[in-house]
Amino acid sequence: MYNVFLYDGTFDGLLTCIDEILSTHINEDEVVIVEKDKYQPMFFDKPIYVTLDKNRSQELRQKVINVSDKMIFKKIYYCFLSESQNKETYIYKYIKLVLKHGKKVKYLYHDDVVNFVEKASKNVSREIGKYMGLMRFNEIKGGVLYAQFEPTNDILVPISYFFRERLKSFKWIIHDKKRSKLSIYDTRMIKFLNGMNLNASFSDNENLYQKLWKLYFKTMAIEERKNLKLQRQNMPKKYWKYLIEKN
Amino acid sequence: MDILEKLQILGAAAKYDVSCASSGSKREVNYGIGSTFTAGICHSWTDDGRCISLLKILFTNECIFDCAYCINRKSNDIKRATFTPHEVAELTMNFYKRNYIEGLFLSSAIKNSPDWTMEMLYKTVYLLRHKYQFNGYIHVKAIPYASLDLIRKTGFLADRMSVNIELPSEKSLKLLCPNKTKESILKPMEFITRVGEEERNFVSAGQSTQMIIGATEDSDRKIITLSQHLYKKFKLKRVYYSAYTPVNDDPRILKVEKPPLLREHRLYQADWLIRVYNFTAEELFEKDENLDLEVDPKVMWALRHLDKFPVEVNKASYEELIRVPGIGIKSARRIIKNRVFHSLDFDDLKKIGVVLKRAKFFITCNGKTYERHLIDLQPEKIKLQLTEKAAAQQRMQQLSFFDKEIFTSVITGEI
Ligand code: SF4
Repeated sequence: MYNVFLYDGTFDGLLTCIDEILSTHINEDEVVIVEKDKYQPMFFDKPIYVTLDKNRSQELRQKVINVSDKMIFKKIYYCFLSESQNKETYIYKYIKLVLKHGKKVKYLYHDDVVNFVEKASKNVSREIGKYMGLMRFNEIKGGVLYAQFEPTNDILVPISYFFRERLKSFKWIIHDKKRSKLSIYDTRMIKFLNGMNLNASFSDNENLYQKLWKLYFKTMAIEERKNLKLQRQNMPKKYWKYLIEKN
Repeated sequence: MDILEKLQILGAAAKYDVSCASSGSKREVNYGIGSTFTAGICHSWTDDGRCISLLKILFTNECIFDCAYCINRKSNDIKRATFTPHEVAELTMNFYKRNYIEGLFLSSAIKNSPDWTMEMLYKTVYLLRHKYQFNGYIHVKAIPYASLDLIRKTGFLADRMSVNIELPSEKSLKLLCPNKTKESILKPMEFITRVGEEERNFVSAGQSTQMIIGATEDSDRKIITLSQHLYKKFKLKRVYYSAYTPVNDDPRILKVEKPPLLREHRLYQADWLIRVYNFTAEELFEKDENLDLEVDPKVMWALRHLDKFPVEVNKASYEELIRVPGIGIKSARRIIKNRVFHSLDFDDLKKIGVVLKRAKFFITCNGKTYERHLIDLQPEKIKLQLTEKAAAQQRMQQLSFFDKEIFTSVITGEI
């Protein structure tokens, strides 16, 4: 019999939920954590919903960082952003390991739980890394920069913080089309919005610069060394949809 | 001439590494790792698989000089174009804010005079930094013979500057660049090093240079010894090597059928060994003038020093570990961290990232070798095993394998 715990789908909600489980002494193997909206009730289940409590999630976060370090916490967060199945339950087990072993958890690479978190967080950070370079902004009417993407993982938040540094003095919008999420930056702060869609038209300049970029991209390729396989290896097709140079 | 046409001409001119103006730069963008982390994010990959991270262009391809190996030389009949500082700045800004690029790599042929050219480069960078408040990465060339004052002013605005050495000996320089002297290259280089040591915010990402490989008879020993000198004396961040691609039919240049890419690759590996692994040029060239093309220089060195092997992974020092072929900086660090907790076996090494294919000949784990018969191997036998597979693979996949191998090691340089 499993003890099913439900949370609201946010990272803080999950941390609250884990904090709650940690205080209960249930056998770890009997714990399952599921996002509330994705939960499909089973006949014998008696799910427990844990409501978000910012103080509790903060506390747990601090506790984890204190016994290990920020890098390990970041791994947990990135794992959460991944699309991996059962990530919540793994995160719970991983946090237990961190609380027990501290930083040394890194050396338990034989452990399934550690392995899972490592893999998932690596996958997320790789995707973030790619989008740092492959995100394409278009200038829309009013001079605002607008980027669309459909990432595999839910990386809108970290990627937006990256572009806050990069494009500090420009207004921009990043749009996760797959999840209908937006981030809007007004040169001071970022706002995150859910369930949004946007249709925007280009500024007068936009076509010229797209043309220049396409030309430059073509010009830089050395014909005699053509190697499309290598190109695809570095820049997999899933990224092409919004790449000006590939359309 | 409109901006599209200029971009086409002056982008294309910067694509091959054959002039002081443009050479080596194509790789510059690939190297942003570790201490030289500067323009490290790739923004796209061209159809030949190379990463684009900077807008790399010449300011002009009109040249008053006549270097034998260069497409832009005065005596060539090619289409010429010149940007204005304003055009380059606009282009850079508009590419940057759309996230096409990390920054600008601005190079140039020498038009009118060295000072005129340097002044234009300065104006461009000035516009970018002050009018457009551009904070991204800027690499700009220092032009031989340009006034030191102009170079100085530019250096305070740039992240990186470079003067290209081009040829590794004075003799070759005399032969191929009648208009340039050793002095005209070393003086600005020395100047940039000195100001960089005295002043803050001057060329903060350091200085680099570039050499052409294969157009002259200079040996690998000469090239790597010069690089070692440049790293020590001028504190250069990087020396780039570029296999010469024949663009001019000139009797002074060695006949080159194909650019010597493999040789270039080996030079990068040797460079990495002297820069990061504490090898010296003298150690690498105890016997030969040139690097072994069949195996990487670390394997070459190890085969000559089998008396220093095998190394016991659970005991060896960091310095000993990084000299083992197949063990890089990263895996050496991981070995040392991990063996504190438990002693490592060959399986653990694999997980840590050690390339056992090469390392297995040179290490033991708790006194055991990888396979029993590995004890007592002869250098020739090891070499044979290490090259046979690579050769077979190369035959099979030919160019694509070759390029991939080269470009991945270009990114890390690691062996
Ligand atoms: S100075 Fe020499 S190498 Fe440089 S652009 Fe002119 S001809 Fe080419």
